[in-house]
Amino acid sequence: MLRTARLTPWLYLAPMLLVLIFTFGYPLVAIFDFSLRRIRGISGPFIGLENYRQVIKDDVFHEAVVHNGILLLAVPIMTFIALILAVLLFDRPRGWQAYRSLLYVPFILATPVVGVIFSNMLQLNGVVNEGLRSIGLDVLALDWIGSPRLALWTIMGVVIWREVGFGIVLFLARLMSINEDLLDAARVDGASWWQRLWHVIVPQTKSVIEFFIVVSIITMLAWVFAYVYVITHGGPGTATMVMELYIYNFAFRMSQLPGIASAVAVILFLVTLAFMVPLFRLRSASEMEEMS
Amino acid sequence: MSSYRARGLTRRDFLKMAGTGLAAAGMSPLLGACGPKAAATPAAGGVPTGQNLKFWWWGETEAPGLQKWVDETAALYKTKSGNTIESTLMDTAVVISEFQTASAANAAPDNIFLWNGIYHMESAWLGYLEPLDNFFSAEEIAATKPTQLSVYEGQTYRLGWYSCAVLYLYNKDMFDKAALDGNTPPATWADMLTACDKLKTAGFTPIVGGLKDGPWGEWYMGHGLGQNLDTPGDAINLFIGDLDWREPRYYEHWTKLKELWDAGFINDDINSIDLYPGIDLFGAEKGAMTAIVAPILGKQISLMGGSEKIGTMVFPTFGVGKLAGKPIADCQGLGISSQSKNKEAAADFLRFAHDPERVEALWKMASAIPNDVSFDTNLIEDAATRELRAKWVEGDTIPYISNLMPGVFWTDAMFVNSQKIISGEYTGEQAGQNAYDVTMKWKEQNPDLVEKYSTWAKDLGV
Repeated sequence: MLRTARLTPWLYLAPMLLVLIFTFGYPLVAIFDFSLRRIRGISGPFIGLENYRQVIKDDVFHEAVVHNGILLLAVPIMTFIALILAVLLFDRPRGWQAYRSLLYVPFILATPVVGVIFSNMLQLNGVVNEGLRSIGLDVLALDWIGSPRLALWTIMGVVIWREVGFGIVLFLARLMSINEDLLDAARVDGASWWQRLWHVIVPQTKSVIEFFIVVSIITMLAWVFAYVYVITHGGPGTATMVMELYIYNFAFRMSQLPGIASAVAVILFLVTLAFMVPLFRLRSASEMEEMS
Repeated sequence: MSSYRARGLTRRDFLKMAGTGLAAAGMSPLLGACGPKAAATPAAGGVPTGQNLKFWWWGETEAPGLQKWVDETAALYKTKSGNTIESTLMDTAVVISEFQTASAANAAPDNIFLWNGIYHMESAWLGYLEPLDNFFSAEEIAATKPTQLSVYEGQTYRLGWYSCAVLYLYNKDMFDKAALDGNTPPATWADMLTACDKLKTAGFTPIVGGLKDGPWGEWYMGHGLGQNLDTPGDAINLFIGDLDWREPRYYEHWTKLKELWDAGFINDDINSIDLYPGIDLFGAEKGAMTAIVAPILGKQISLMGGSEKIGTMVFPTFGVGKLAGKPIADCQGLGISSQSKNKEAAADFLRFAHDPERVEALWKMASAIPNDVSFDTNLIEDAATRELRAKWVEGDTIPYISNLMPGVFWTDAMFVNSQKIISGEYTGEQAGQNAYDVTMKWKEQNPDLVEKYSTWAKDLGV
């Protein structure tokens, strides 16, 4: 009887567990398996760690890793901008609801659409540069996506432009639920705007900020493909090559070496995991702290 | 093939008769092996009927109207044969991978669209493509001009479909205004530099293109590298490392690209725009010369309101190889999966698609220049397209050697080199070194393909 009672919950869970294993577990196992083979079509001979060796010694992969690392610089920038704008909106200036909608609009646009629009606007002779030239700022009319010095920073700018909206809405939602008494007390005590931000708002929104940071890190490591592919295709040269594009090139574009693509996917998975585990631990610790 | 027609028989009628004879006499083990299952009923011509054929194709993006042609051809073929064609338009990004994955999973379509060269040859090496020599006579295959790059160890894996010739266009008006002869495009490198200089002085951008997405660099390499090669086999020997990219003649085309760029002969935004917007600068009369492939000539003609101002040209010669100075022929093609359970019917469908009436419809519905010798060139009204067909399809041509480059060479050498030369990061010599490094990398990553390439080099070494 006791034994049956123990199994009963698992029986109820079994269908969902099977779905999860099939949709997440199988692809993960398959990717690990692929990464150890020279895949032609859907299988190939076992070659041990050769794919990893090829990846590790490939200069293009090194560049991709560096570029993903540089893109991570956008995370604190996005977080800061989103927080400041959210706090400004929280002060409810005239028309704040309209501003909130406007700032959120970029996030609801599909990434490829954003990419296409910006890749047209930011061409050497595109709208942005023509506008700058028309007001005599020729010196600022740079080759935003055609120059290897600028292209990665341009992509970072576009990512920030789009993703900040998500942060604003998250932070604003949390700010709306803060106990107003805390802010009133700070005002009565003579706290400045910055002091209220730093000593009241930030601690109160800590868990949401951490969540946004986690999501943004994942974005910069594993969700920038659409921006890069549409805006620069990884160029000029290798100036905007990132790990996802490297995977795509080997899996689909021309190279047809899914084994190497899988090896990079495994590396990317492990790196993302290495970032995520401590961050999630930190977050659950701070949640426990808040609850206590 | 022409002899069959001379006797008043179409090619199809002839093959139907031959097929019937073979089937009646029970003399065709090939037909027996590859033919229909028990449920299938042979049609009058010996081709099984009542079959359902899957046809995966691509091309609507470069030849708008092709979808309509495919649908009409499928409908007409059903009426004629009783076989149903279930067509699927593939996405550009997965034209190769989708077929290979499906083949590996034993779920390949019967008929398949195939790009030329390595883009289908790897599938042939994997055993996913049926040699067409089993179903078509040498004359039939030759009549579709599939090019030398469709042949491996003497067997052909594609029929040509429509021309994808690689050439340059020039604006005759701009040439005249720059005191150049509008009827004589530059033929040598010295002529090219002089022409560019005069065009620039006259206020025109001599060459326009878009390099951001890559194919412009591929085309440039096809025009330039071939000039210092004697055979397409030489190109393969470069790609597998048997010839050395670091020899000046093998990177000379990249040095020439730098020369054009440094002299200000190329549009300044080439690195920040894609291929088609770059080409459209020519159609908008913002540039005097551009590289194109045959299917997009029609759009340029339409943008310029006619082909009177448009001249076609072979890229000017600087190299000393035997391939220098000749028009580059290329075409899209169609093949048969080795896994098809209806190979005979699949071949019959391809044969039907090459029927003179269908070939004519291909031109009329999609403005795609048919590769078939049966096509009546008189149907082409404008002079530029007629010239293209005469020189780049029917003339003394060479294959498009960029179709031989391994995938990783495309992404890590060709794409990178052309863009880095424009951005000033590479000289021609550095581009050659990178090409060499990428070749070595490819060899290490693909030891199983090196031998196949070597064999292919022998096929193409003539």
